[in-house]
Amino acid sequence: MPSIELIDVSVDFPIYTAQTRSIRADLLRRIGGRIQEQQDDRRFVVNALRNINLTLQAGDRLGLIGPNGAGKSTLLRVLSGVYEPPQGTIRIEGRVSSLLDVTLGIDPELNGYDNIILRGVLLGMTVDEAREKTPGIAEFSELGDFLNLPVRTYSSGMMLRLAFAICTAIRPDIVLLDEVVGVGDAEFAEKATARMRQFASDASIVVLASHDTNSLRNFCDKGVLLRGGRIVEMGPIADVLDHYGHTASP
Amino acid sequence: MLETLPTTTKERHFDARTMRGRGVKATDDIWESFERWQLWWLLGLNDIRQRYRRSRLGQTWITLSLLATIAAIGITYSTLFRMNIKEYLPFLTVNLIVWGLIAGLLNDSCMAFIQADGYMRQERIPKAVFILRIIVRNCLIFAHNAVLIPVAMLILGGSISWTLLLAIPGLAWLLLNGALAGLFLGVICARFRDLPQIVNNIVQIAFFISPVMWKRGQLLEQHQGLVDFNPFAAHLIIISDPILGRMPTLGNYLMCLATTLLLAAVALPFFARYRERIVYWL
Repeated sequence: MPSIELIDVSVDFPIYTAQTRSIRADLLRRIGGRIQEQQDDRRFVVNALRNINLTLQAGDRLGLIGPNGAGKSTLLRVLSGVYEPPQGTIRIEGRVSSLLDVTLGIDPELNGYDNIILRGVLLGMTVDEAREKTPGIAEFSELGDFLNLPVRTYSSGMMLRLAFAICTAIRPDIVLLDEVVGVGDAEFAEKATARMRQFASDASIVVLASHDTNSLRNFCDKGVLLRGGRIVEMGPIADVLDHYGHTASP
Repeated sequence: MLETLPTTTKERHFDARTMRGRGVKATDDIWESFERWQLWWLLGLNDIRQRYRRSRLGQTWITLSLLATIAAIGITYSTLFRMNIKEYLPFLTVNLIVWGLIAGLLNDSCMAFIQADGYMRQERIPKAVFILRIIVRNCLIFAHNAVLIPVAMLILGGSISWTLLLAIPGLAWLLLNGALAGLFLGVICARFRDLPQIVNNIVQIAFFISPVMWKRGQLLEQHQGLVDFNPFAAHLIIISDPILGRMPTLGNYLMCLATTLLLAAVALPFFARYRERIVYWL
């Protein structure tokens, strides 16, 4: 059974090229994490996530909400294992499939079929597994003959279809999505949502970061509101969205 | 220097912030990288294909450009050194091909993680995969070029000796040391972006002070140290001498062994300590 547990996780990004020394911590600022000046006066650190405590069980569908720079993408990357947090404890059980940026891991010069193999192997499949899954992926993406053309000829929506189809070809235990579904057309959005629902009811955990309140309300059952790297609200999605709506503008 | 961010320890199965915890994670990383060999094989293969996409001659350019270099240097220097061109050309061909592998391994490893930042920030991929990709990429180039060796030998009347077999362990040893060096260089170059250029310069200088274009016999007695204590020379010699029908000296092998020990002692703990930080530097 997949599960996610984050205890007191913090992530800092060191900035090595900050020219100016006079960045002051602006506590009233809505956007972004906290910028912190280090002791030796020559380095800056962005506190992207502060003291995150989060527990998710099989079947949870979590929506990540917050202004730009709040830490949503960073949190997703912590969950996928990309950023190992220097502080805190993290326990993740289950196979993770992340769709954080539609175009990453896809080689624009290769055609759709070759990219399926490449992307599949990057995700952890073997070449044989990826080959086996190709017809299913091709069908789900509905890209037809375009799969024989280099991926650089695709629109961003088409790339999303391909990337999404590949990432969900093996039923992952944990699915992470970062604001990607907006790019697909309405019909694809429905297909994608249906597939995600199926995963969730098969006991996967789905975490979705989005600004689209409708799809969040529609699909997620839990919500987390991030601001400045901290979780300021956690609970049923409707409540968190209402809170966000009310506190959005200063 | 390299920063250490403040840490808090929490009880868990093992504390990932002790050297032991980090060592376990690094070992797992390397182990998992070997399990996922299809990934670095595909990436390395793709690196070559991508370079020559939409070009008419494709991968043969690798061999063609080497051929041009051999012809230019061969004719010039055999005249300058007053050496028999029939003897100099095979010598040069083998040396340039092996040196290409050495230089490629070192220079490419510097960029191993920098180049892979797209992949590393999207998925959790064991880091050693990107070093092994560099090995594959350079081995493929070496293989393309190695076809010139029998050609050069045949045309110029060289002969094959049993010592050729020794080139194989020599090659394997170079790849091992290359991988260890790569682990160190890849990590430190991701943090300090001046280093790739510095490494490039060092490799260029090493080219001239190693017996690639010139024979060690051309050196005066008092200058033999240039070859004896030169690790680049040692790695070159343990592969190229067997191909050319000579036995490398014990000194050459000892130098390679010393390199392995030094690299293992430096690169492995370094990789273990900073493996988790690489992605923060990209």
